[in-house]
Amino acid sequence: MKTFSLLAAAAVLAAAPAAAQVMSPAEFVATAGASDLYETQSSQVVLETTQDPKIRDYARMMITDHAKSTAQVKAAAARSRVRAAPPKLTPAQSELIAELRAEQGPARDQAYIAQQRASHNQALTVHQSYAAGGTAPALKAAAAGIVPVVQHHVEMLKAM
Amino acid sequence: MKLTLAASISAFAMIGSMTGATGALAQDNAALNQAPPPPPAPSSAVPGQPAADMQAVLNQGPLLGYKPIETLTPAKARLQPSAADMTKAQMRKGGMSTAPDPAVTTRDLPYGSDPWQYARVYIPAAAAGTGGAALPVIVYYHGGGWVIADVNVYDATPRFLSKQLNAIVVSVEYRHAPEFKFPAQHDDAAAAYRWVLQNAASWGGDVRKLALAGESAGGNLAVATAIYARDNNLQAPVHILSVYPIANSDMNLPSRQDAAGAKPLNTAMLKWFGSYYTNSMADMQDPRLNLVAANLRGLPPTTIVNAQIDPLRSDGETLAAAMRRAGDKVEQRTFPGVTHEFFGMGKVVRGAYDANAYAVTRLKTAFAR
Repeated sequence: MKTFSLLAAAAVLAAAPAAAQVMSPAEFVATAGASDLYETQSSQVVLETTQDPKIRDYARMMITDHAKSTAQVKAAAARSRVRAAPPKLTPAQSELIAELRAEQGPARDQAYIAQQRASHNQALTVHQSYAAGGTAPALKAAAAGIVPVVQHHVEMLKAM
Repeated sequence: MKLTLAASISAFAMIGSMTGATGALAQDNAALNQAPPPPPAPSSAVPGQPAADMQAVLNQGPLLGYKPIETLTPAKARLQPSAADMTKAQMRKGGMSTAPDPAVTTRDLPYGSDPWQYARVYIPAAAAGTGGAALPVIVYYHGGGWVIADVNVYDATPRFLSKQLNAIVVSVEYRHAPEFKFPAQHDDAAAAYRWVLQNAASWGGDVRKLALAGESAGGNLAVATAIYARDNNLQAPVHILSVYPIANSDMNLPSRQDAAGAKPLNTAMLKWFGSYYTNSMADMQDPRLNLVAANLRGLPPTTIVNAQIDPLRSDGETLAAAMRRAGDKVEQRTFPGVTHEFFGMGKVVRGAYDANAYAVTRLKTAFAR
């Protein structure tokens, strides 16, 4: 009897946090922009030193693909009438760039790949979550379009 | 044109969600935006004071822009700097390299059809291609409350264990909550264990010398998977290393109170994680989560490592007691002056260095038998 009422109370409690709290359109634009900016800057840093053709090709592809997604999000922001400030790295992303710059040679290559793996998983969450619940339709469609690109990068990184 | 694009996007999303599940529920990305649960009642307890080197790492959190996980949605929580990020920032400021140690190489290999069902196989560079004796194998599960973090965040421990023990360490990625709720993570942990038993020899591993290891949520998976192996008549591991596991669903344990306001893990975050990985509060009583109530008989010798300033400290202590009552050989140590996540900080935190050395000694002994 006691167990039953406890379980019933628990079920009510568990059902409580159902409200959505998706990123605002402006938050999404700033987050996606910072993510692209970090991808571009980190790829430029590794291109300064890498001797590995595989990493060079990958880094160049990152610069191209993330310029594309930045443009897509920017255009969608304009259609959604979201004012987008120029993208800015977060403190954590600035630290990652500083860590890359502190390494040389193959150590920088390996640090870059390690960072890429972590940051692409984060980018995937950003775009999947906004594609699932975003409130600005043009931005939501842009996020959905970027998801498979990020998924492709994630799969590429597994092979590196 | 626009219509076709939209149609192909939704078709892709459908394929994604259909293939994303292994016969279970489809991936729920909308859950990433679910509001956090209300915080528990504030505690008046003052958590213990971390040692100076531990505190120095924690001080990096605010500098990296850390926001309290328990106030965020899962999507935003995953963007917060991790304890590993704080450790690396502290290392760089001390002039140390943060690049992965090249003494160990890695390969990412799938063990299932979902993109998250893969493992990072750490192989000591010295052993690669030497054709020498087969190496011990450690199946390792990362932490993050089953909601945040991944194999990338938890690189320090598997890399260190591989190098120090000259062992193959298989760091298992798994589907995360809230996209996939309990028991998806336990199912993946078990599937990965079976896959390692079948494939370790092809990497140069000897499954007769196989240990299970994990940190935090992964410390739970290490023990839960040993139970799974016993119940399914699979080859048993020779040892379990469980570092600050989630193991007891009683929210009134001493450490839930005395470390309620600890960093980087507090009691509110435990409630936060639970609200996203469980389907209902009833899941909390499942013996795979509430390990202290599981049938623990016949498990291999076990080492449990805890931090003094950690709301999960009592989990490890009560799990050790429960395993001893069940007749298992268990050693449990609580390290002073350190917090949750300290185990990956061996390069900058003395208590972590000591705990790493302790774990290595215990595993070496297990593999030498």
